[in-house]
Amino acid sequence: MTREIRIALTGNPNVGKTTLFNALTGSRQHVGNWPGVTVEKKTGKVSRNGCEFEVVDLPGTYSLTAYSADEVIARDFILDEKPDVVVQVVDATNLERNLYLTTQLAELRTPLVIALNMADMAEAQGNPIDYRKLSGFLEIPIVRTVGTRGEGLQDLLDAAVKEAKTSPHHEHTIGYGNEAEEMIAKLTDPLSADRTLSGKYPLRWLAVKLLEGDENVLAKVRGGAASARVQSILSSINSDEYEATMADKRYEAIAAILPQVHRTNTRGTTFSDMVDRVVTNRYLGIPIFLALMWGAFELTFTVATPFMTVIDTLTVWLAEFAVASIEPAWLGSLIGDGIISGVGAVLIFLPNILILFLILALLEDSGYLARAAFIMDRPLYALGLPGKAFIPMLIGFGCNVPAIMATRSIESEKDRLISILVNPFMSCSARLPVYVLFAGAFFGAHAGGVMFFLYVLGIAVAIASAKLFRSTILPGEVSPFVMEMPPYRLPTAMTSLMHMWSRGSMYLRKAGTIILLGAMLVWALASFPYGVEYGSAESFAGMLGHLVEPLVAPLGFDWKVAVALIFGFLAKEVVVGSLGVLYGAGEESLTDALFADPSLSAATALALMVFVLLYMPCVAALGVIKKETGSWKWTGFAVAYGIVVAWVLAFVVGHLAPFFIGGA
Amino acid sequence: MMEGTCPLALLAAGTEAKVTDVRAGRGMQARLLGMGFCPDARVTVQCADRGSIIVSVGDARYALSRGIAMKIFVGIAKGSA
Repeated sequence: MTREIRIALTGNPNVGKTTLFNALTGSRQHVGNWPGVTVEKKTGKVSRNGCEFEVVDLPGTYSLTAYSADEVIARDFILDEKPDVVVQVVDATNLERNLYLTTQLAELRTPLVIALNMADMAEAQGNPIDYRKLSGFLEIPIVRTVGTRGEGLQDLLDAAVKEAKTSPHHEHTIGYGNEAEEMIAKLTDPLSADRTLSGKYPLRWLAVKLLEGDENVLAKVRGGAASARVQSILSSINSDEYEATMADKRYEAIAAILPQVHRTNTRGTTFSDMVDRVVTNRYLGIPIFLALMWGAFELTFTVATPFMTVIDTLTVWLAEFAVASIEPAWLGSLIGDGIISGVGAVLIFLPNILILFLILALLEDSGYLARAAFIMDRPLYALGLPGKAFIPMLIGFGCNVPAIMATRSIESEKDRLISILVNPFMSCSARLPVYVLFAGAFFGAHAGGVMFFLYVLGIAVAIASAKLFRSTILPGEVSPFVMEMPPYRLPTAMTSLMHMWSRGSMYLRKAGTIILLGAMLVWALASFPYGVEYGSAESFAGMLGHLVEPLVAPLGFDWKVAVALIFGFLAKEVVVGSLGVLYGAGEESLTDALFADPSLSAATALALMVFVLLYMPCVAALGVIKKETGSWKWTGFAVAYGIVVAWVLAFVVGHLAPFFIGGA
Repeated sequence: MMEGTCPLALLAAGTEAKVTDVRAGRGMQARLLGMGFCPDARVTVQCADRGSIIVSVGDARYALSRGIAMKIFVGIAKGSA
């Protein structure tokens, strides 16, 4: 009879924690959210020698003082959920700072194992670490690991089992000097009277955190048996002073050990520094960045095109086959016209998205994306967003769903909310088919210019909205920019592909389920009441179109366009498909059919494209907005704001365009 | 030998210095300490020609906005810059 052992992986950001997690758990992963907050929770399973392990990947953190949501989660998990063993992943090339976190973890008195990761890099730098000796000093088991090559994983699991079964546990903590220790003793006394607290947390740790002025711990004490006495002791001290002194003592303790286990000289100017001098240069930084982006999008579209053609051909063939051969006819229609066409319309963009994600994974894993955020920090700051917000905006050109998920790296909730709300204005690849169709039909040789105008308009609306939100509903300072610039690393194919897949598959799964339901709904609306012609004015879809028509009539749209726009809510490329159904034409001749429709002019077409660009996030994006903001209010706001902006701009464009087009 | 202290934000690229004090306020202070910006830590400004600076502490490199860098006080080692 074996029991499952729960391991919590913790550590500083950029120490290869996620790589180690992936190497440990492989494909047996589950990605969800921590309850109540919008930080990703990753758990995975692994077994060894008949023992099952559950591995929880905690957010990266520099210290255990609760500051950002990440830090609170990491700390509360260790304290409240009491995992059987905590594994701290330590970057062997950056020992001093990493051990600072170790000193704090040791105070939690949790079973602890250190994974000395990137040990190969430290050795290659001619600075091997005598980790057995270090382990002796710290009284913590240390295992040498190389996450990227999967080295040391089995030893790590063995050490975790051993540590989890060892009890009672070591009490190796840092001495903070006479003055602080006196205060700690003073605080421990009343704290021990609070049975609920002392039963749950180590007293010394509570006292240390209170001395440091930790709000989160103070809140735990407040209202309890120790509350009054603790607060009277704390009222007489300056916690900032204690925080700094105690940090000093921790670093002193580390500094006393380090020279005995490795050479502590830091390297001077590294290869990374030299690259940075070029890449972040005042004059070269932005041009290099733009060149890389241009290359990335070129690749995304050129490499993806053949795959897209294959998927498109396959979907059309499958849909026709289903309609023609499945009996009864209504079922064939549901599967062919509804499910296959609807889901296929989304699947078609999977190659784009996978390639885009692979490029982004390569940029991220190599360390460049952190530099891009650094370069863009200043221009974005002026617009009321932190530099980190730039990364999601970029991903938005591919698809807003992963883009909105990527806002998770932004610490401040307000900054993050603004980034989420403006993201749908970044013109995603699903809107491209709409532009191609209408620009092609009405603007001929100027189609390219029209498309360029639409992309720029999207960016402009995103920027203007960010500024508007910042100065009205979400006021406040942009959170200060603090970001680690990890050293440039050559990404390995394995880790980058896994990185790509973890995002790409999520898109596939989520979009797939929503789109599948949506496609069936559209089909039903277009098919019923029973007996009507599919997609005709008498179907429910047609009735719906006539119902909505008055709202969009001022923009010059008729009921067919209205239906297409409603269906486009499922996925924007569905606008094209719906018009195809309503005009009763295959998509090849749809261009001609649209051009021949007297109710559509070039100005109306332009207004329609503007409307499609802005009007509302698609179902999948909305689902993600709801999930990430955790609020129906903000989700509703995103819809309402988008529709209002789209309506106003489409109206303006539609009425101004004749003057320009007429002159051309 | 130290020549008085000044905020990290005011150093030119290439300057080496020693942290003397961090006054960044609740929370941010702990983060900076955890990142290695503790008194006596040796820092080098790697890049200072933008709105934010890049600083090295040991073998780590951080981008800090000038506002934060104004709250980290450093002493410049004589003769180094």
